[in-house]
This record gives sequence, structure tokens and C-alpha cells, in this order.
Amino acid sequence: MKCILILEDEPLIAMDLQLAFEDAGAEAVVTVSCDEAFEAMDGAEFDGAVLDVNLGKGETCEPVAVELRARGVPFLLHTGDLDRAGEALRDLDAPILAKPSGADDVVSRLFGLNGQLQPA
Amino acid sequence: MHRGNGDGSRKTFEQAQHTGRPFNAEEDNFPGSSGLLFEQAMAQTRMAVCLTDPRLEDDPIVFCNKAFEKLTGYKQDEIVGRNCRFLQGPKTDQSQVAKIRDAIRTEEVLVVELLNYRKDGSTFWNALHLGPIYDEEGKLRYFFGSQWDVTDIHLARAEEKHAKAMAREVSHRLKNVFAVIGGIVNITGRAMNARNVSSKINERVQALGRAYEPTLDDAALGTIEVGQAIRSVLNPYDPEGDRILFEGNGARTEPNAVSAMGLTLHELATNASKYGALSNEDGKITVSWHHTEDRHERQALVIDWKETGGPRISGEPEITGTGFDIAERLLAYSRGTLDRTWEEDGLRAKISLPLKS
Repeated sequence: MKCILILEDEPLIAMDLQLAFEDAGAEAVVTVSCDEAFEAMDGAEFDGAVLDVNLGKGETCEPVAVELRARGVPFLLHTGDLDRAGEALRDLDAPILAKPSGADDVVSRLFGLNGQLQPA
Repeated sequence: MHRGNGDGSRKTFEQAQHTGRPFNAEEDNFPGSSGLLFEQAMAQTRMAVCLTDPRLEDDPIVFCNKAFEKLTGYKQDEIVGRNCRFLQGPKTDQSQVAKIRDAIRTEEVLVVELLNYRKDGSTFWNALHLGPIYDEEGKLRYFFGSQWDVTDIHLARAEEKHAKAMAREVSHRLKNVFAVIGGIVNITGRAMNARNVSSKINERVQALGRAYEPTLDDAALGTIEVGQAIRSVLNPYDPEGDRILFEGNGARTEPNAVSAMGLTLHELATNASKYGALSNEDGKITVSWHHTEDRHERQALVIDWKETGGPRISGEPEITGTGFDIAERLLAYSRGTLDRTWEEDGLRAKISLPLKS
């Protein structure tokens, strides 16, 4: 079973994403801060990730994105305002899915059309 | 360059300013550059001008014109003999002042904007241009300073910046609200075993959200640009950006037209994804929009939808979907219409929305 990391601080969106990934036959771990995401990454290998860019109080998903890129884990940036992402995040040139978009779109975008995870 | 013939080809003092290099007596000289002409010009210009003498202690002002008096509220005898810093006050940005100090030390031309204080204590934003003036032997003689009150520009700039920041914040929050609504609809649909219904609702809600989003900046003007709304509604149906062609002329319409227009386009695009030009590998859609007069001689916005290269079709399908019923009714509330014709190579549709005159 594929295991997906979700970093999202809005509960309804997080729940929607988690259920959508479960419907698609994957396991999804929801984290709400970079600290939590790093903790989750400590104990597990992820096959992919969906990262909300703005996590409130100026925190962005940037450190997690950098770590995922270093590990070669494919991820999507799921955001309503990319302008607020820092330069470093833009430099990563990760695929972006603009909010709002359906949870199923997020899943299919991450999984790709043939069920394979898109390369990072 | 030779001197003194006044043929108009040499650089004037003004030009020297614009080139951003120091005034040079050798190159920038002209027959009236000193004496009576200069004094008369200085007296008449609305640009506040002063000269300081860096060879005297504390680089005092040795000359200022009428405009300088008018701008600062001081009389000439209160100005001459003092260092320019008497115009500064508690809210003057010291980092800008430091730039001035550096420019004087290194004899460079500088333009800064800083907050200055008038004699009556009121403040103004001063676009200060300063630069060294050399004598014929190339020795530093004066510093030239011109002051321009840019308070109005500053205010306008601050307001514009604030308005932009607000529009962005609102846009960001609106997107989040639509994302959260999407979450509620999905979760509820899942819990009530009504996934089909909930996903239809969600698609329409999200299409509406996309239609409204680009109008936020614009809406204050009373009308919104149609093209931005059309593009953002349809973009998700064409992730590669090579299936839907947009042709528009910057036409505008009322913000109220957005919901009917957005939902109708969404239905057309959904339909095209299932049965039409987006259901195969190489079908295309051309969406064009313009203003025109309708049959009642009212100004109307017309959006033409033309599908080509999709599966061949033979006439009107038996069922065209509840989405179109909703769209047509919504358009009717705006006194608009949706006409559809099924050509062999694809669907044609015409959305027409009257514009309030």
C-alpha cells in the first residue's frame, strides 16, 4: 500500500484529502506543521506528499519540501497563493496545484494517469 | 565638444541632470550659465533649488530660490548659512540621510526621497536631487540640491500598495473558503453515500469560485474583464494549455454576470470532456467573446463556443443534462440566452448576456 504524507493546517481540507487518498487505496498521514511532518518522516518512508504552502503565522512548507526533494519523494504544492512562497520554494520548481481544487484532482495529479507516482 | 557658440547641440544643465552625472563647467557650460540669465531662471522655476558650499564649515546653503522658500516656509535669510539638515525631523529616515552624507563625501549625484519638515512643522515628501558642481579647473565648488514635493505621489503609492495587498489577502482567503467548502461538500457526500451528487455540486461550486476569483481586483471599477473569468473557469479542463483557444478583445461586463457565465462555461466544458472535443486526444475548442448589439438593439456580451475535432455527432442528443437546464435558467435571470447547435464536427454554443446601459 502506498503511503502519502499530507501537510495541511486546514482541518476540512486535510480530512477531505485523507479520505480521497484512502478511497484511492493509499494510506495518508496528516500533519499540520513542519515539525510534525519531520517527525512523521523520521519513522516512515513516504511514496508521495501533498504540501500546503502557507501553514499560518508565516510558516511555510519549505523545509519539508527541501527534505522530500533530497529524499527523492515526489510531492505536490497545494496552495492558494504561490506569491507568498519563498524564493527557495520556487527554486525547487515542484508541480503546483492551485487551491481550490477537488481532492480527487489532487490524488490523480499525484498518482498520475496510470497509477504511477509522478517523478519529483 | 567646443564651447560658447550656443548652437543648441551641447548639453544643457537639465540634460546633465538627467544623465545622472555631476554638472561639469567645461562640458555643460553655455553662454547664460552664470550671471543674470541663471538668476532669472532660478527665480522663476517652480523647482526648489539650493546651492551649498562644501568649502565652508558644515557645508552651509549659500543660495536658495523663491521656490525653496515657498516649499519650506522659511525666508531666505533664515535659510542661507544653515546646513540642509534643518529640514529634517524625528520621522526622517536616517538611512536616506546616510545616503546623502555618502554622496556628498564621494561627490556623487544622488536622488533620494525623504520626509522633510516645513517651518510650521508640517511634513512633505521631498524628492531630493543633489550633485556636485565643479569649477573650470575641475575643483569642487558647490553642491546643487533640487527639491520636489512628492507627497501626493507618496500617498497615492501607499494607497495603491495597500489596495493591492488587500485584494491579494481577500483573494487568498476566498480561495481558502472555496477549498474548505469543497471539503465540506465532499465529506458530507461521502458520509451520506451521495458521492455522485456531492462531486457535481463541488465541480460547480469550484467553477464559480474560479470565475469570481480574478474579478476581485477589478470589481471596484464596477465592471470586470470577461477574459480573465473565462480563462480561469476553463483552465482546469486544459492542463496542457493546448486544447482551448481563447480569443477576446478585453471586453468587460457586470460582476453579476459572472455566476451565470461561469456555470454555463463549466457545463459546456464538462460536456466537452465527456462527449465532445475534449473527450478524445486532439479535439479543440475555440472560445471567443466580444460586445455586440442583440436583436433588441441592446449592447450584449457574446461568448462563442466552437468545438472541432471531437467525435462526429449526428444532431442533437436526446438528453443534454440537468447542468444545461440550470445554466439556461440562470442566464434567463440576467436576460441572457444560450443557443446550442450540433454541427457534424462539434458543438457550437452562443452565450449572450445583455449589458446594463
